[in-house]
Amino acid sequence: MKRKRKKGDDAELDMTPMIDVVFQLMIFFVVTMKMEQNENKEIVLEHSPHGPKLEDKGVGAMVIEVDRRGWISVHGAQVDKNRLRELLRDSYQRYGTFPIYIRGDKNTKHEDIRGVMDICASEGIAAISFIAIKKEKRKR
Amino acid sequence: MAMKKKKKKGDAPKLELTPMIDVVFQLLIFFVVTLTEEDINAHLDVFRPAPEQTRPPDEKVEDLVTILVYNQRTLGGEGYSLEGRKVRLAELDRTLSRLASVSTSVSIVIKCTNDSPHQNLVKVLDICAKSGLKNLSVFSM
Repeated sequence: MKRKRKKGDDAELDMTPMIDVVFQLMIFFVVTMKMEQNENKEIVLEHSPHGPKLEDKGVGAMVIEVDRRGWISVHGAQVDKNRLRELLRDSYQRYGTFPIYIRGDKNTKHEDIRGVMDICASEGIAAISFIAIKKEKRKR
Repeated sequence: MAMKKKKKKGDAPKLELTPMIDVVFQLLIFFVVTLTEEDINAHLDVFRPAPEQTRPPDEKVEDLVTILVYNQRTLGGEGYSLEGRKVRLAELDRTLSRLASVSTSVSIVIKCTNDSPHQNLVKVLDICAKSGLKNLSVFSM
């Protein structure tokens, strides 16, 4: 401390490192914000503490969302069963088999989930994954 | 006008950092506040045969365990039955983990009724994942 005082003539605060840090933080938050996907926030998932953690969905993965009324949506757009079948058929013809994830509300009737699964299976995709909550975020 | 006056006044054209820092801090605070932590999700993989062969195998295949998932509001119990006997979830858990300690390649057939809620199926799949059972097929009835 003493040395510094002796050295510096004008005691001006150096802003550069602070600005660097703040910009770093900003960029971090901007990037992590982008990660947020357009998923249906209405859907309440069931808990599955023992299920394997979902990290990377895999190439060409499709997430099919079924809310508690049985309405189906893909990538945030609501689709009916015929449209879903077309979508699956298109992707299947183009890319071959791809992973399918179903985000079903916990109160959805199995009938509605079954409808989606039947379409997937009849289009040639028999391996289906359900998404559940492994660990819930802490509430703010 | 204002610019001209300023230029005449100032001798050393020094960059004013204060407003920039203000703005950057505002943005930073905005992002910190709006940042929502995401849930950690799990994936439960099952096999779903094509509808033409939706019928579960009738003949008694070896190493095949059938779990029925139904709506507990209509049929009572907790919504699960193992080989035709109504069981509680904890009981199902015990049975399956005992089964898995012998072999994890046992075929589990999960049959769901149309009116059963999706959460029942997910709970069964969670128990299967806990025991390490991998060979799961979901049928509807």
